[in-house]
Amino acid sequence: MGSDTSSRPGVSVGPTSEFSLFFHVKPGHGEALHQALRDLQDAPGYRPGDYEMPIASIHEARFVPFDDDTRLLFATSFDGPWDAYMEDFASKPLKLFDSIFQHVVGYEGLPSLQAVKDFILNAQQTAGGYARNYGGTVKQIRKAITVNDAFQEVLDDPGAADALQHPALRPLLDVAAD
Amino acid sequence: MNPPTPASTTSASPGAGTAETTGAPAGPPLEIDDIQGGALYERPSPYVGTYLLLQIHDPADGRELIRRLLPLLEPGPASAAPRSGAWLTVAFTYEGLRVLGVPEESLDSFAPEFREGMAARAAELGDVGASSPELWEKPLGTRDVHVALAALAPDAADLESVVARARHAQEEIPGVEVIWRQDCYQLPTGRTSFGFKDGIGQPAVEGVGTPTTNRGEPPIKAGEFILGYPDETGGLAPMPTPEVLGRNGTYIVFRKLHTRVAAFRQYLRDKARTREEEALLGAKMVGRWQSGAPLVLSPDEDDPELGSDAGRNNDFGYTSDLRGFKCPAGAHARRANPRDSLDHEMSVDVRLHRMIRRGTSYGPMLPDGVLEDDGEDRGIIFVFAGAHLKRQFEFVKTQWLNDGIFIGAPAEKDPLVGATDGSGAFTIPQHPIRRRLPDVPPFVVTRGGEYCFAPGLRALRWLAELPED
Repeated sequence: MGSDTSSRPGVSVGPTSEFSLFFHVKPGHGEALHQALRDLQDAPGYRPGDYEMPIASIHEARFVPFDDDTRLLFATSFDGPWDAYMEDFASKPLKLFDSIFQHVVGYEGLPSLQAVKDFILNAQQTAGGYARNYGGTVKQIRKAITVNDAFQEVLDDPGAADALQHPALRPLLDVAAD
Repeated sequence: MNPPTPASTTSASPGAGTAETTGAPAGPPLEIDDIQGGALYERPSPYVGTYLLLQIHDPADGRELIRRLLPLLEPGPASAAPRSGAWLTVAFTYEGLRVLGVPEESLDSFAPEFREGMAARAAELGDVGASSPELWEKPLGTRDVHVALAALAPDAADLESVVARARHAQEEIPGVEVIWRQDCYQLPTGRTSFGFKDGIGQPAVEGVGTPTTNRGEPPIKAGEFILGYPDETGGLAPMPTPEVLGRNGTYIVFRKLHTRVAAFRQYLRDKARTREEEALLGAKMVGRWQSGAPLVLSPDEDDPELGSDAGRNNDFGYTSDLRGFKCPAGAHARRANPRDSLDHEMSVDVRLHRMIRRGTSYGPMLPDGVLEDDGEDRGIIFVFAGAHLKRQFEFVKTQWLNDGIFIGAPAEKDPLVGATDGSGAFTIPQHPIRRRLPDVPPFVVTRGGEYCFAPGLRALRWLAELPED
């Protein structure tokens, strides 16, 4: 498999591109894979109710075993062109998922950068369709949530209605009613 | 000959955040005596210089040129008085190597971006509009550019004597033609046309022995800059073959960047109420004050003593300023080298995207206080040296300077050098309300450039001895 990354950037919407990897699970590793996924789900950032994954440039991460646990899908949405970050994946993000990837074919310790590239490119499939319901990067969305939380706090103040009458706050008043 | 330069390879780089999975081997000692000095060592400032681009009409004469240049190249740290009168660096474009007679199989082994050439990468690099290759200064970006020669000298008299001798030598090898000359210089202050001291945040390279000026950044593996040595991934960068040609070489990026200094000054004047605010806005855009003092260490006013202190002006990180109240995340210097500011995000390893820069100035400085363009061509000759055109120069240019996704501001670009159509903004975090400068115009126009390869000395001898066809 070649490693010409420029031809495979994935489909993007705004600043975000889809990124899907389809792996073959090592024979007999199905149960161990499930255990590793349960362990991940118990880790900070992945527990139910947690929203701060350690990797700040992905919107979500899902691991889906399928075909009787012989295959594994890793699907995410990445801020930026993921192919530009290929070498960076080897340095940090891949290691975070080490306990999962060691159950898939091709992850043999990734002894070289070429091995990393082959591991990713052999598994990556570009989406046939990809759409998003909102724009913005993870950083922008986190910021937007912070701002909205602050805004709601302002609205809970009995003095908010008067304060928002100032002409400079008109755009906020416009979205304060519901 | 130069005495051999001791090269330490024992400097540890704790926390050099790269793949443990790749098990970094201890690298072989750097063959300093075989590496062209300009890549690893800065020339004593101030200096004057000239860049010559040459076209090889006759391969035999091209090889003769290399033979004549070889004894003039001085590897290792720059001597105070270069024996030829100037510190020379020689590099070749892909077309130049082809014309010299480098075999096809070897040509194919070079990095794809090098083989394509900078002009072909224009869309990727944001060299569009006024910066597009169709408008580049000829012969930049054409197949006529074969050899790039940089000659830097302590003073103008030395330089002219070298150039005169070069001209004389060239008469004896008529099959090589000088097709472009660009004079350059570095001021004693280190300042470039925008008025800011430049070239401060250079990475320390493991095994070279130059001092580490940023204690937060252990020396970068030599293989990030010189081919044939382990890099930050623990592996070797793809190296051109045969080994004699690739080893100890480095890729060079050469860009002539016209700076719209009057427009920059006028923009700051328009946005500021006072001279002090004007200086502050300029510093916020650059990430440093004019003296070179970093905003993180001196957030409120310039500190010339700090700016000129090489032991302090690069010794900082951004973890205490993640929100950018001192130095905006979008400031030029912070974009070009985010230092430790992205470490906690786990998505990027800054050590994989470091650049050695050897930039110089060209054209007359716009006199202080002048806000009207005087029509002079002035700017920066940007020079990069590194083992990876794509993940070093092109990554920094496309992901960090021309884009704002990585800082959560996709619509913002580098306020100084970003490829912009003038519609972008620049955000300055400050209490109580952030300031947003709208419609930042383009302050830099690409006049042209080339991707080159600067071979080691053995490789140059190999090139000089290539057989006829």
